Amino acid sequence: MTVVALSKDTVADAAMQRRRDGLSLTLLSDPELKVIRQYGVEHHKAVEFSTGRFALFGIPLALVPSFKTMAIPTSLLVDETGTIRWIDQADDYRIRSSEARVMRAIAAAFGDGAA
Amino acid sequence: MNTIANTFAVTTAAPIAAYLSGAGLLVVLGTWIAYFARVPSGKVPIRPIGSIVLQCLGMGLAVTGLLQGPISGAVGVGVAAMAGLTLLMGALFLWLLTQRKTPVGDLKVAVGDQILAFSAQSADGSTFQSGELLGKRTLLKFFRGGW
Repeated sequence: MTVVALSKDTVADAAMQRRRDGLSLTLLSDPELKVIRQYGVEHHKAVEFSTGRFALFGIPLALVPSFKTMAIPTSLLVDETGTIRWIDQADDYRIRSSEARVMRAIAAAFGDGAA
Repeated sequence: MNTIANTFAVTTAAPIAAYLSGAGLLVVLGTWIAYFARVPSGKVPIRPIGSIVLQCLGMGLAVTGLLQGPISGAVGVGVAAMAGLTLLMGALFLWLLTQRKTPVGDLKVAVGDQILAFSAQSADGSTFQSGELLGKRTLLKFFRGGW
């Protein structure tokens, strides 16, 4: 199973996250929201916290909420022919596909032990 | 006589106000920490009633502290700062919860469709083409970004 994850982060941000979190999956960057809009998973005015100007020597002193456009958390399970077999989308961004849910979907689409 | 009574009122109100606003700040910040500690594991409650009640309780303590009347000196500044921060953080938490819904319903693909061909920059600097996924079982994940 190949895992490909795409967000609005820049290549530099994605590379930093990949290193920091020791990720082996493919991280894709879509800062211009081309793919996010192509798939219709755009969340306009989503809240993001940033340190903004309130940082001293790189240490955040305050987190400032601001509105950003980003992807709605969405999972697509795709088979070898490029056909979508399962879609899961969060209507509450705090609640995303859990590992158990994804594993159940993989088993349902490809049979037990497919993952 | 009046002055003595006022002085007495101020000296007793000051510690009570400080305790109330301090307790409010502890409750509000503690609830923030307890809630966000559960985010990485995805165990945030769908309806965080307990967190909402605690945030309201903390803000109530802060307001009760402020209602003890104006206090002069360092204690007054401390009470105002603690109560102000409590109200700010409590209100921010409640507002954040109102922003939780995502505008679903605009999805351009359905189960059974072919994926839409796309290309994007990979974190290693190369250009990724969706055609590379042919012949592989893939979990394609859109996410909000690193933080």
